[in-house]
Amino acid sequence: MSNVAAIKKTPEKSAFFPETAERVLAGWAAFMAARPKDPEWLAQLRAQGADYLKTRDLPGAKLEGWKYTNLPPLVKQFGDTLGQTLVTFDPVPGVLVQPLTAAQDMDWVREMLSRPAPVQDANADPALWHLCNLYYRDGIAIDVPAGTEAQNALNIAMACDEDLLYIVHTAIRLQPNSRLTIIEDHRGKGAFWKNALSHIRVEEGAHLVHIRIQEDSDKAVYTQTTEVEVMKGGTYEAVALYTGAKMSRNQVHVRLMEPGAACHINGVSLMRGEQHADTTILAEHLAPHCESNQNMRTILGDRAHGVFQGKIHVHRPAQKTDGYQLSKALLLSEGAEMDTKPELEIYADDVKCSHGATTGRLDEEPMFYMQSRGIPADEARALLIEAFAAEVLDLVKDDVVRENLADRVREWLK
Amino acid sequence: MLKITNLHATVGGKEILKGLSLEIPAGEVHAIMGPNGSGKSTLSYVVAGRAGYEVTAGEITLNGRDVLAMAPEERAAAGLFLAFQYPVEIPGVQMTTFLKTALNSIRRQRGEAELDALDFLKLMKAKQKALGVTDEMIKRPVNVGFSGGEKKRNEVLQMAILEPSFAILDETDSGLDIDALKVVSEGVNALRGPGRSFLVITHYQRLLDYIVPDVVHVMANGRIVKSGGPDLARELEAKGYAEFTGEAA
Ligand SMILES: Nc1ncnc2c1ncn2[C@@H]1O[C@H](COP(=O)(O)OP(=O)(O)O)[C@@H](O)[C@H]1O
Ligand SMILES: [Mg+2]
Repeated sequence: MSNVAAIKKTPEKSAFFPETAERVLAGWAAFMAARPKDPEWLAQLRAQGADYLKTRDLPGAKLEGWKYTNLPPLVKQFGDTLGQTLVTFDPVPGVLVQPLTAAQDMDWVREMLSRPAPVQDANADPALWHLCNLYYRDGIAIDVPAGTEAQNALNIAMACDEDLLYIVHTAIRLQPNSRLTIIEDHRGKGAFWKNALSHIRVEEGAHLVHIRIQEDSDKAVYTQTTEVEVMKGGTYEAVALYTGAKMSRNQVHVRLMEPGAACHINGVSLMRGEQHADTTILAEHLAPHCESNQNMRTILGDRAHGVFQGKIHVHRPAQKTDGYQLSKALLLSEGAEMDTKPELEIYADDVKCSHGATTGRLDEEPMFYMQSRGIPADEARALLIEAFAAEVLDLVKDDVVRENLADRVREWLK
Repeated sequence: MLKITNLHATVGGKEILKGLSLEIPAGEVHAIMGPNGSGKSTLSYVVAGRAGYEVTAGEITLNGRDVLAMAPEERAAAGLFLAFQYPVEIPGVQMTTFLKTALNSIRRQRGEAELDALDFLKLMKAKQKALGVTDEMIKRPVNVGFSGGEKKRNEVLQMAILEPSFAILDETDSGLDIDALKVVSEGVNALRGPGRSFLVITHYQRLLDYIVPDVVHVMANGRIVKSGGPDLARELEAKGYAEFTGEAA
């Protein structure tokens, strides 16, 4: 099929999931009418997306992997019009950054964008992925040539400001032995739904530090899917600091492809009011001698709701795997709630894996100790919360970046 | 200075302080001795305002002000200080941050100007030296990884920096070797003066050789049962508390 408009036959609806996501297709024809003709591979990608969304609903609480986060009711008004995401950045010497549509004919970009969507099973759901492809247009490609060690961090801002659906793609490649720090800034205004798909490939011996500061409006919904491949001796290091959005779902899937690959997926979420933050991580070990770490701190006030679902999947060849996972949540009020689901799935016999999850409240003893020294209760609480967040933020080695993150935490605490 | 009248307090529904009265005039050092479980730490927590320690009757005033009506941080600003029997570890909060925040909170509550980072460090350095607290210790989180003796010295350091007008030292001597005991005692004695009073809780007469009290009280079963001069401490050391607890010696 050469043109998406040529799809005639609507595939069968599922008996098990009779609802469909056709609502998000409402504005698609108008969107496509304004697009230049797609290359064949892209037309196919969109068509697959359309096929899927005509037969399946957006992931809802019926799915195991979504049982704590009920997306469909929050996004049912979106789909008529697509908003234009403004992606801006400060150039960094040696790093190639382009709008995605300008870079899409390069082999590496095409290959990344064409990655097969996950199949639907208990934990994975491809609907958000397909939705991204359906409305593919906004986004950037970042390429770091072999051996380039970028001195400055690459700052990227993603702006949304209307009550619309926004779709953003990111394609990032670090070629062998290169290094880069990316700082994504999300500060959208209004009651939008931002659905983003990021493809990342860290090649041999390369090191990517990927920071995301998410301070979107507390009326917004933000769903993010990040798909990462790490090759021999490469490292993917992510820190997500979330204080924004009414509802966010941050799903990260890292595949450690070759020996010596490592990932550190760290996050701090600070939520209050009625906010909901869901972090869902899958670290897949496909080769021996790889290391994965997941470290999450969730701080919940008022009636905020936190979710952590983390899984380490060790495939049969992945001997000498070192897998670690820890989620700690701090409840600041009676109405706050945390759901955690740590999982291990291990098929190799010589591995070291640990996981843990705790949910607690501020200790009374340090509070009293500080107050007895003259520190007012509010300030004492803030110091303890800051220390709790620092357990993860202190893992950031760059002083400037770490201080910036700590400042955001202090700002939230004011 | 500090006046406690007919104080009754319960912890977890159990009455621990049963009509305790005590008056410590300005400039004096009083010691409280008494068997384990007699309520000495409970008294110190009640004075400092710890949650869960419920006062059912009686009153506490500091220079005529109603202490029980104040939040713990207000008590600190009013000049109260408690050196804890078991100092609390606070992972992730650095000693300097903690102490600077404490000092400036107190100054702010008193309407005084806050110290900037540089002035604070100067003050800290000066006090540290006298108490043998190393730079390495103050870079660590509050009390984390400190030995028992280091924790106690750190309590006295905090007292020296916050300069309270009334301080309770709850078994600050336990866990200290003789050298540390001397250092800590000198730290306390350096603060002694006409405007400042102390309540020293201890098990051992030894400490009172270094911090010589004006009055010694014996506490048993939630009350002060006897008061006297420094000689009383030596007497207790020799005879034990049997005559106050009703147990055989
Ligand atoms: N949190 C608590 N709940 C119940 N009882 C307590 C609690 N803390 C202390 N107590 C009891 O109060 C009594 C006095 O304790 P404490 O004040 O620590 O004595 P001291 O310091 O004189 O050794 C003891 O019998 C102790 O078991
Ligand atoms: Mg005690």
